[in-house]
Amino acid sequence: MEAIGLQPVLFVSAVLFVCGVVCMTTKRNGIGILMGVELVLNAANLNFVAFSRYTSLGLDGQVIALFVIVLAAAEAAVALAIALNFYNNHLTIDVDRGDELRG
Amino acid sequence: MSSFGELLNNLVAETTQRSLCHFSPELALSGTIVILLLMRLFGSIDRWIPPYFTALVGSLAALGLCGRQLLDLLNDGAASEEFFSGMLVFDPFGAFVRGLLALFLVLVVALTVLTGIPDREDGPDFYALLFGSTIGMMIMASANHMLMFFMGIEMASVPSYAMVGFLKGRTKSSEAAFKYVVYGAGAAGVMLYGISLLMGLLGTGTLVSETMPDMASNLQLAFAGTTGIGSAASMTLLLAVLMVMVGLAFKLSLVPFHFWCPDAFQGASAEVAGFLSVGSKAAAFALLVRFCLSFVGGETAVLPEIFTGFGVALGVMACVTVTFGNLAAYSQTNAKRLLAYSTIAHAGYMLMAVSALVVVLAGGPGAGLSEGVIGETAQRCVEGLLFYLFVYLFMNLGAFAVVALLRNHTYSEEIDSFNGLGWQAPALCICMAVCAFSLVGLPPLGGFWGKLVIFMSVFKAGDVHWFMYVMLVIGGLNTVFSLFYYVRMLKAMFITPAAEEARPIEVPAAIGNYALLLAIPVLLLGIFPTWTTNLAQRVSEVLVP
Repeated sequence: MEAIGLQPVLFVSAVLFVCGVVCMTTKRNGIGILMGVELVLNAANLNFVAFSRYTSLGLDGQVIALFVIVLAAAEAAVALAIALNFYNNHLTIDVDRGDELRG
Repeated sequence: MSSFGELLNNLVAETTQRSLCHFSPELALSGTIVILLLMRLFGSIDRWIPPYFTALVGSLAALGLCGRQLLDLLNDGAASEEFFSGMLVFDPFGAFVRGLLALFLVLVVALTVLTGIPDREDGPDFYALLFGSTIGMMIMASANHMLMFFMGIEMASVPSYAMVGFLKGRTKSSEAAFKYVVYGAGAAGVMLYGISLLMGLLGTGTLVSETMPDMASNLQLAFAGTTGIGSAASMTLLLAVLMVMVGLAFKLSLVPFHFWCPDAFQGASAEVAGFLSVGSKAAAFALLVRFCLSFVGGETAVLPEIFTGFGVALGVMACVTVTFGNLAAYSQTNAKRLLAYSTIAHAGYMLMAVSALVVVLAGGPGAGLSEGVIGETAQRCVEGLLFYLFVYLFMNLGAFAVVALLRNHTYSEEIDSFNGLGWQAPALCICMAVCAFSLVGLPPLGGFWGKLVIFMSVFKAGDVHWFMYVMLVIGGLNTVFSLFYYVRMLKAMFITPAAEEARPIEVPAAIGNYALLLAIPVLLLGIFPTWTTNLAQRVSEVLVP
């Protein structure tokens, strides 16, 4: 199989990253924002794996990708618990409804 | 196959004989977490030994281990040493910050014992989160690889999201935690993308190393002879560094990444707010210094224009942060929110030291400074930062502790609720006065020397770039401005009479003593600053040779 090279992978990851950032900034739903974060983290993971294949980064990149997958799961667990707590108190997870703290 | 066996044996020997010793404070904290969580399984033990007792013993053990490590390092005159195959680094700078964090943990646990948050039922969970977060901060303080950089930040952040939302069933607490987690996760994601670009560009994630290829040496290889930001590679480098700075600026609550800070502090209990305002700042500054030194700390300055520009950008950020924090604090009526904005402003003052450090190291050679002068000035910057962090620990925790302790009697954290308390709870209010005047930076309190050392290093950096003088003026003006809002809190306590319907409060002696325990070091550091500045100086001499 012919190797596709570094640049196409980086392009895909950049697209993923931008999708994630757009998702984070435009969604009003808390879960939607967290999904955007997952896209950004996976874009970074794709970068790490690609760099470890094509540059002198070596296995470091793949190991980091594994760590990030685990960390993303841990973070999602805490974030969803907090989102549930927010829902119990506000009966919505629309981030705009959290407007008690301001000033 | 035999060579593989040899490699494995070496790795095991290095880990057990060297790395685990250097890692002992973190191991003590990890052990405490396991004990705390297991004790609940064996019902009756839990009733005899309260969770805070275990937590106090564990944090004191960590403090002792950190103190011994720092003393050993200073007595041996040792340089830095990498451990866990270069993932972490063991040097006086890291040992100092870890000791600071361990001391801080002891004080926070003592505060939670006095205020009664968490209750006995939730104790193990709360202390497990608190200790887990502190382990993350300690890893941040000794990180030497971009992986540990990211892991440390996440390990410090994820438990603190949960701690902010720890007061269950309160709408404000849940809102604060939700905002914190959403901003935090976003910033961490952007930072990770920046780290991936940086590591791909430089081919390694090691920050500084004697034996392995590190970021500084690879930077020199990749950019030797390049000037300006013309090339695609240097643009990518700049983008990557900026993205990493997003994550760090979020942890430091620098403008424009500060939105979470007032909300999270107001919604969280004052104990947690105090923990976040000092602990995560100290660790994040240690990490920021290590990150900056991996670029500008090399033998020869690479890409001096870019990194001088980066240092000046940090300076602009510091000026905006200080000014914004102080202006926004004026109109606050909630004591925790006011202290949150004061925390933002203080992060700005400390960032000034880092900005001066980067500017001097990157632009010094180009501005015709001799190597000795550059090293000397850079050491003053790190020294100022460390001294400031040390004073800041006592004065900021003191302010938050007084808010937490008075809340237990007045059931309110509004500044109006402090009216007339100066004569009913003199120890607490005097502690608040000492801490507030120290936060302003009035002599003869510790905060004065902290600001003075930082401003002096910024003044010296003015030889390299004129913006440092601007920063100095803005910092000085802000110091004067900040007086007014701290005094407003003191005015409520000592001058405004208590409301007619307010019940008089009675504060137990133990609580007053704890407040004095925090106020006395602030005073002592102001009168005898030399002992700590000497320590900070010796630490910074090893970090910036």
